[in-house]
Amino acid sequence: MFAGSSNRVGIVASAQTQFKRAWADRQHVDLIGEVVNAALKGSGLRIEDVDFVIDSGSDILDGRSISNCGFLGAMGAHQKEESRVEEDGLWSALYGATKIGAGSAEVGLLVAYSKPSESDVAAFYWSQCEPFYQRPVGFGQAAASGLQAQSYLAEHGLSEEIFADVAAAEWAKAVANPALEIGDAPSAAEVRESGNAAAPLRELEMSQPVDGAVAVVIASQRVAERICPDPVWITGIGTAMDQHAFSRRQRSALPAAAVAAEGAYKRAGIDGPQGLSLAEVSASSSATQLMVLEALGLAEAGKGAALYEDGSKVAINPSGGALPADPIMATGLARLSEAALQLTGRVGHAPEGASSAVVHGAGGVGMQNHCVFTLEV
Amino acid sequence: MPRDVAIVGTGQTVYARRRTDVSQAGLVREAVDAALEDAELTFADVDSIVVASGPALFGSVNQPEKWLVDGLGGLMKPVVRITSGGGTGLAGALAAMNQVSSGFAERVLVVAYDKLSEGALQYQISTLYDPFWGREFAVGIMGFASAYWRARIETLGHTEEAAAMVGVKNHRNAFLNPYAHVRKEITVEDVLASRPLAWPIKLLDVPPISDGACAVVLASPEAAEKTTAKPAWIRGMSYFGEADNAPDRFMLQSVPLQLAAQRVYKKAGITNPRRQFDVAELQEPYTCFELSYYEGLGLCPTGEAAKLIESGATDMEGDIPCNPSGGCMGANPIGATALIRLAEAALQVTDKAGERQIEGARTALVQAGGGWANLRGVAVVGAERN
Repeated sequence: MFAGSSNRVGIVASAQTQFKRAWADRQHVDLIGEVVNAALKGSGLRIEDVDFVIDSGSDILDGRSISNCGFLGAMGAHQKEESRVEEDGLWSALYGATKIGAGSAEVGLLVAYSKPSESDVAAFYWSQCEPFYQRPVGFGQAAASGLQAQSYLAEHGLSEEIFADVAAAEWAKAVANPALEIGDAPSAAEVRESGNAAAPLRELEMSQPVDGAVAVVIASQRVAERICPDPVWITGIGTAMDQHAFSRRQRSALPAAAVAAEGAYKRAGIDGPQGLSLAEVSASSSATQLMVLEALGLAEAGKGAALYEDGSKVAINPSGGALPADPIMATGLARLSEAALQLTGRVGHAPEGASSAVVHGAGGVGMQNHCVFTLEV
Repeated sequence: MPRDVAIVGTGQTVYARRRTDVSQAGLVREAVDAALEDAELTFADVDSIVVASGPALFGSVNQPEKWLVDGLGGLMKPVVRITSGGGTGLAGALAAMNQVSSGFAERVLVVAYDKLSEGALQYQISTLYDPFWGREFAVGIMGFASAYWRARIETLGHTEEAAAMVGVKNHRNAFLNPYAHVRKEITVEDVLASRPLAWPIKLLDVPPISDGACAVVLASPEAAEKTTAKPAWIRGMSYFGEADNAPDRFMLQSVPLQLAAQRVYKKAGITNPRRQFDVAELQEPYTCFELSYYEGLGLCPTGEAAKLIESGATDMEGDIPCNPSGGCMGANPIGATALIRLAEAALQVTDKAGERQIEGARTALVQAGGGWANLRGVAVVGAERN
């Protein structure tokens, strides 16, 4: 996968907590401890076998400086190599993959979590904006999402109805996913009737924050083949960040997601996603959901909605994706975990005979940063 | 096989208590421009960027790399931020090292910074503690650090006088470092007579609070060869943590420090640290920590740190000079401090350290630390590869 490196990196186990709006009776350490134990259980590995821990969480969401410090015990990182990647968990997976790819370790534990029910999610986003020009005018995730949605419709001459259809389709898949406790799926009409979030976007067309944690265990080829009957191999990784100034960004598309995908496909030695079995992607709204699918090469620009109307050869978000359930810092790692579970046939919603996947994670206001993985069994 | 990783350029900003002339973005750009100039590279040569900084609360900007990217030349490139408390600069360098070593990137720019004038430091550090059990009686870092020093005075003989000597030495060395912003001649008596903050920690045992940034360019052997005839080689680097509430946590010696040192020394073939290292750059947030690190890093046996500093061995002219840069006493922009130690080590082994150069230095030891004294990193930097 990496130039000059013959070390393959495999996903050998993963686990997530139930995702729900609020885990009111659990602390962060409870959620983290639960997934670390669950991921290791039955994996053939004990915590002693784990060489390092890389974790994603947010000081701002946690209300705590250096918040990884308080969770090292729960993460199983006591007296181990550990680092905090303060970005979506898919970047922790990137770190872990380079560490094993470099041959400096054999088994890594990746942890990502968020408990937005205890935080002000709008503040989590607006505090990412530079403090001089953007923050004073109240810029944040809602404003960015609304502008992206308007630009997308204007650029392609589309009607806002498509956003409700996308949200309803994702919710319909999500309620069939036993790992989510998010209530009943709204119909497209109900999505349209939900409150105004950021014109033209409605409340239910925005990603809905959930509490939860995810753990993924990755290993070198040597270890993976010894302990796991069906390791999921990481075949490609790409990542790219767009500029900060939103006024200068392209708003009807996500070029950084396209660059990230191109990087992953190149490393995987494929031209695009067409031959892959499934895609698990993140999104901040129905509009960016379509833009991500287009940036990944699953549809042409402005044609993302057709994947929902006409069906898609590459199964899109069999888990229900990030719109109904967005555990913020854990969303991308949850996509990775989901894809791995589907490729090994461990969840009921897996597409039949699935053997390869593209996984996407993002971070930042208006999805400024993107990371893409490709996988195969 | 993992690839070796070279340091091909370093850059540091002017450090000051308050850099009111630049924003956070302007500050990091200053270090990055200097590092790229040193490496004779441009933004176009950089494949990937790792940003490291202290807790987001320090600068009151969440995920600041998203803002800094425009000034870092990172458009459409891999950009990620590593944060790991005070030692985050080295944790960031370690992430970058893995990117190069694995072949994910040929050249990675690491930039570490903090602009501590923009927040209330000790208050923000206090939010480190558990909101239910720890926060009501925790006082920044100083509270527990003083308790453990007190214990080390009793058991290891890390006396107030010995710690004062560390402060005197590092303040003296800072005069040789053009980047240091604290230039103050002090004596052991001055330190002992300075105002107690959390006894035995006194005002002159404590470093300044600074604004500043440091940048380092890491490269594969092939990429390094094209850039410089004299790179510094990272011969080993590791960063360990331990649970802050682990019931078996032993604070007289730092276990994560010892684990990191063990790992790195094995990789670099270090069996006699005192003899094999020509120079050491240690991140000493308080004078007492440097004494503790001497023992944890094997520069002297347990309980002999006071003897080591008294002997003059860690002075500029000694056999194991520690912090010729002046360490944190000269400047302490927390998130950058550990990367500064790495950059200073690279300058030493490439004979570019100016007045603070240790003559003939070939092998340098780097140490970093953060969190609630539970995150510890170690690196070995050399003029030659392993």
